[in-house]
Parts: sequence; C-alpha cells; structure tokens
Amino acid sequence: MSEPLDLPLRDQAAAIAAGEVDAAELLEATLARIEARNPAINAVVATFPESSREMLAAAPVGPLHGVPVVIKDEWPLPWRAQRFGAAEMLAETAPGESGPYRALRDAGAVVVGVGNMHELGAGSTGNVSVYGPARNPWNLERCPGGSSSGPAAAVAGRLVAGAVGADGVGSIRYPATYCGLTGLKPTFGRAAMEGHHMAGISTTIVSGPLCADAGDCRLLGSALCGEELRAGNANGLRIGVVANEVSEDVAPAVREACEAAIEELRQATGGETREVELPELAAATLATVLIANSESLGNVTPERLNNLDPELSPLGRGLLKYRLMLPAAAIAKAHQLRAMARQRLAEVFEQVDVIAWPTVPAVAPPLAAPLVELPSGTLTADAANVRSGALANLTGIPAISIPVGSSEGLPIGLQLQAAWGRDELLLDAAEALEQANGRRWVEAAPPLTPAEQAGA
Amino acid sequence: MEASHSADEFIPAALAAFGVKADEIELAVMGAAHELLWPPILELLGFDAGGVVSEPAPDLSQAPPRR
Repeated sequence: MSEPLDLPLRDQAAAIAAGEVDAAELLEATLARIEARNPAINAVVATFPESSREMLAAAPVGPLHGVPVVIKDEWPLPWRAQRFGAAEMLAETAPGESGPYRALRDAGAVVVGVGNMHELGAGSTGNVSVYGPARNPWNLERCPGGSSSGPAAAVAGRLVAGAVGADGVGSIRYPATYCGLTGLKPTFGRAAMEGHHMAGISTTIVSGPLCADAGDCRLLGSALCGEELRAGNANGLRIGVVANEVSEDVAPAVREACEAAIEELRQATGGETREVELPELAAATLATVLIANSESLGNVTPERLNNLDPELSPLGRGLLKYRLMLPAAAIAKAHQLRAMARQRLAEVFEQVDVIAWPTVPAVAPPLAAPLVELPSGTLTADAANVRSGALANLTGIPAISIPVGSSEGLPIGLQLQAAWGRDELLLDAAEALEQANGRRWVEAAPPLTPAEQAGA
Repeated sequence: MEASHSADEFIPAALAAFGVKADEIELAVMGAAHELLWPPILELLGFDAGGVVSEPAPDLSQAPPRR
C-alpha cells in the first residue's frame, strides 16, 4: 500500500474502516507532514493538535471516519473564529460550530488545520493574505489561486487529501485549476453554510470540496451537502460550447488543452457538442461583481472605514472604500441581468447537459505580479478570471473544474457547468474524462519534497 | 469624460460626501478599480433588459419559473 497520507481521500476512509490504517497514526503523520512541508507553501495557517485529537476521539463511524481535512479560514470552529484572511473583516466573529464543521464532524472527519485564503475573499490569485500568501506547490513563485488558496495548496502539496473551500465568485474553481485539482462549486444552497458571516446575506457563496479527483470530491461533497451525491453516468453527454471571449481570449496552450479535453469527453461519453449562445455573459459578469460586493456592505459605516486596521492591505482598504461608490441603479440593473441570465440558462440547459470552457484563461501567474497574457493583451488575473467563473455564482448553477493539461509546468483546468441540482452529473462527467485520459492529470504530482522542489 | 480622468474628480468628491478619508495608496487602488469598473458600469446602466424584471427573492437553488 502507498503511504496512507498519499492515498486518495476515499481510500484513506476505506483503509481506516477496514482496520488497515490506524486513524490516530494517520492524524499524527498528517500533523508531522504539515510541519515539514507547510513552511514552503504556507497553505495551513493554524493547527490545533489537541482539538484534532479530541475530534478524532469523538468521531462517529461515518463515511469520512478518521480522515484528516483542512477547512478554509472562512468558517468558525468551536475553538477558533475565522479571520477571512484579513486583519479585519468588518463582521462579528467568534468561535462556534459552523455548518461545514458540523458536516465534517458528523461524517467522522477530523479537522486538522485551517487553510489560508485571499484577504477578505476578494481575489482570484491568493497573493494577498494577512498570513502572507500561500504558494503554489507546482511552482513556489506562482499564485495558488484564490480565494481558497490554502485549501488548494494543502491538497496539491499532499498535506491532506481533501479540503473545504468556499466559492463566491469562482473561489473554489480558480485555485483548483492553478493547483491541478478537482474543485466543485455546488448548486447554491445545497452545501452547508451555517455560521458563515455572510450566510443568509450572500446570494453567491457556497461551500465545496477541493480534492485530487472527482471521486474524492463526491465523497467530501456528499458530507457537505448532507446527502449522497450518487454516481451515475454521463452517457450521451450533450456538451455546450460558446464562441466568445471565455473560450477564445485564452492563452493558446489553455485553449488547445481544453478543446482536446472537450473532444475526449465527447468521445468517452458517446455524446455531442453543440454551440450555444450566451449574449449577456459579459454584462452578467459585471452583475456578479456588483451583487457580491454590495451584499457585503451591510456592516460598513464611514466611521469603520476611517478606522480600518492598519494591517489590512492597502488593496483591501482601497477596495472596501470603493464599494461605497457603486451606484444603486447599476446594482438594480445587475439583478435584472441575473434574472435574464437565469432564464437564458434554463433555455440552454434544455438543449445541452453541460457548458464547457476553460476555468481560467491562463496558467497561474507570478505571485509578485499576477498578470496574464491573453490574445487581447495583458490583463490582471482577477479581471481575466472573473469572466469565466462568475456566471455560476450569479445564477446558482453548479460548476466543476477538472485538471486537463499542463503548460510551463503548471496545471490547466476545464470548467463544466450544469443545470441547478445536477451536481452529480458534473462529477460523473469528470470521472468519464479522468478515465478517458488515463487519470493522467488527476494523478500528476508537483515537486513535493524540498529535494524535488530544488530540482524543479 | 474618460473614466481615468473622471476618477480624479469622482472619487475625492464621493469620499468627501461619505465623510471617508483615504491615503494616497488607497486613492490609487480606488482609481484603478474605477478605471476598470466604471466604463462597464456605464454600459450596464444603458443595457436594455428587454422588459425582464428582477426575480423577487429568487430561489437560486432551482431554475427560474418559466416565463
């Protein structure tokens, strides 16, 4: 058997259930690995060995019994309040039992650490955080993606086999792509969100799993959703493709890998590809940004903005203040756009089962300067990535990012989006694609040890 | 007026109206955000929604009701 730490999440769970792996030993080995490997990638910003051991001692015999996982710094734990990657988060926080924590606990999992994240969840790169940035295990000078930077880097760095992220505007899918993982953004409202400081306010954020492959996402996602995401098949898959900037204003290597993966998926499922039209996509992207940013304004007052923690980044401070200036008329229009986009997608999903395009248009950019080169020119990664990720958050549909290639030694991801409640189909399709490419990309591993990193 | 030019007037005026202070770096961040967001915001304001009205309290876990 491989080192238990290196097994997929579902194999760890199965080995513990079969008595082949001792959960207490796995926990201690995980803590030791975090201590050894984390300094290079800064994926995990807090561990609490005694609380983890207590969690294991009380763990019920559930589908994740004894399996160590990392949770993003976005939810409280009974022994730790979330910090949202920031020195100040403009919301009251306190330790407590969040929904994802309860879901993990009730499934028997052990929270072994808190994952780093982009400050205030406000970036797709992960290069800004009160803890310092997490680093991409594939290249320590590159962005891990955000905002769920730490969960992604922790899984890619094989600190744990699964982690819980959050996706308000692509924040699971971007880091999944940059780090070569599979990341599922469930249908809005389907996965546990209680205890999040924006629960009941945000209409875009969901919790979701980041794992090496779709099978592990199915297991961890089932725990978060409180119901089994049953395996089916993707036979006869009708794949929608769009001829606009999300598919075309893309780095050539990304475009080539994603087009090849779409063709592989079509062949593997005996399906077909059809061109679909989403004429409101660009406007819908802006609508998502406006809605997501305005929803967080409830706790903002001029007095608070004038007394922000000086440890908050200048970027974070400036953006918080700029949010005040978003015009109400544009936000009202954004809600009209949301209605239009949802109607459009409802019609599109009568013609196709999934819509496919690159999760992000270019591989992970440098931490020091997160810019990407696209056919249209140089863009900030945030401005480029939001075009691909926002639609699912605006409309509530599920989406998944699947590793499908590599360029410059960095992973490439394909995004599939499906109709509301068809999260299972996305996992089925991802598994079909994994089989079609011989699991080449989900089993690819970055340089993990200091010696490997030195040689990379 | 170009967004990059209007930022020089709009942002200080808006901050003053709200009674919010900002240092030079924050102003630069806001200026960059404004340059990026304001032109598409203006486009959005002119967008013809074709009579579509916002869904009141939309259930985002499901498809919208058929029109």
